[in-house]
Amino acid sequence: MASEKPLPELGELNTPFWHAARAGTLAMQECGDCHHIRYPISHVCPKCLSETYGWTALSGRGTVFSSIVFHQVYHPAYKGEVPYNVSIVQLDEGPRMVSNVVGVPPSEVAVGQRVAVVFDPVNDEIAIPRFRPADD
Amino acid sequence: MAFLTDRIAIVGVGASEQGRLPGSTSLTLATTAFKRALDDCGLDKSEIDGLLTMPGSASPEGSLNYLRMGETLGIDPAYTGSMTMGGGTAGALIQMGAMAIACGLATNVACVFGDAAKTGGSRFSRASGGTDSWGIWGMFAAAANSAVAASRHMALYGTTSRQLGEVAVACRRHASMNPSAVMREPITIEDHQASRMIVEPFHLLDCCLISDGGVCVILTAAERAKDLKQRPVLIAGMGQGYTTQNLGREDWWYVPHQKDALDRAFAMAGLGPKDVDVAQLYDNFTMSVLLWLEHAGFCGLGEAGPFVEGGRIQLGGELPVNTAGGNLSESYMEGWLHVVEGVRQMRGACGERQVEGAEVCLVTGRGMTLNCANAMLLHPA
Repeated sequence: MASEKPLPELGELNTPFWHAARAGTLAMQECGDCHHIRYPISHVCPKCLSETYGWTALSGRGTVFSSIVFHQVYHPAYKGEVPYNVSIVQLDEGPRMVSNVVGVPPSEVAVGQRVAVVFDPVNDEIAIPRFRPADD
Repeated sequence: MAFLTDRIAIVGVGASEQGRLPGSTSLTLATTAFKRALDDCGLDKSEIDGLLTMPGSASPEGSLNYLRMGETLGIDPAYTGSMTMGGGTAGALIQMGAMAIACGLATNVACVFGDAAKTGGSRFSRASGGTDSWGIWGMFAAAANSAVAASRHMALYGTTSRQLGEVAVACRRHASMNPSAVMREPITIEDHQASRMIVEPFHLLDCCLISDGGVCVILTAAERAKDLKQRPVLIAGMGQGYTTQNLGREDWWYVPHQKDALDRAFAMAGLGPKDVDVAQLYDNFTMSVLLWLEHAGFCGLGEAGPFVEGGRIQLGGELPVNTAGGNLSESYMEGWLHVVEGVRQMRGACGERQVEGAEVCLVTGRGMTLNCANAMLLHPA
């Protein structure tokens, strides 16, 4: 059952990220003072310690920074999923995030490859941002 | 020379049996190791006034481990505490103990670790992450972090899986000469390549063991060490480094804090990589050894793959690494046995696997989501 996989636990900090994702936008926090775009989600800017921030829509485009393929089942809900890809994506706006590159065989995802975000709806509230190979 | 250089000695080391030890707990294994370390150095339990501990991965008391350990061993210390830095803990605790002795807070410090991770369950399969767990994207387990590093190193520098295999083969060959090692059957590069995939690019034989066991290391001041049973092994240099951000720092995968820790240790000791005769490099995965070699300056950036070829890091090679078998083949004591082997090499007590004439040993540790690193340079008094 897909719902047994770990899902985000929505709280004050991360709800805007997941609501934006459900609406089809990859959004991250931008510092209200130094304008650093940060990820992972935090209440404070790690550059300037400002606690003022807004959510900014990103292009959803990036480059594969590193790519690995899970063959070992570490979580029972992933038993039917292996082998699957996990990649760190370098987003064009600066942050990096853990995600999956889908739409290609998991071992064929190459470091340096251009990718674009897609949203994978897993329930009424959550759509998980993943990435597909892109041309540019 | 820095303030602490050669002022603190490791005088006693002890380890329990290692491997799958049903019926053991982190406390029983730590107790065995503690008794053996006392016997090794000749100190009496009543003389131990510093107790620094690392909770086992399944120890329910967590950071209160120092209380359980003190109660178990019957020690009311002058100085104590617990620390949880995964594979970075042993080195960090030893460095803390060294400072406590140098500052007069304690006279003889025992650093103790016991773990029943093999039979008692462990945390090594958990997902990392922050506000949102990486498990949302299926990224679980310690292997993933080092696999990320291997994938990028391979892409940038052409490092190959066979080169990673050289590390596994070297560690196993060394373990075959170590009666205490858990995995002693020699392996080949072909065995490495044929072992099943865990997290690509890692095969099974790129991954360390999971083990039950205990280890204890006893420290005292260099002057006092002369009166004890063993030839003292002095800490010439030590250093730590941390990258607390992971995704937030572009070079996190390359563990830049390993270089910080090594630079600090070399600077304190007034030594450099050319002075190192033998190295015990933290090997949770084969890739980690390659990164240590580059950070220590044994080879250049991106050159560790070719460096480990041709038996260079095996006994008899230019730089023997993990001479007892390491986390990969001796036992996964999260780096504590790397210290023990470093001490034994500096005592000249390693028998068949002794590096002849070795005078300087580098010992490193690293833990958590690649975040914590430390290094020590040991030499005989």
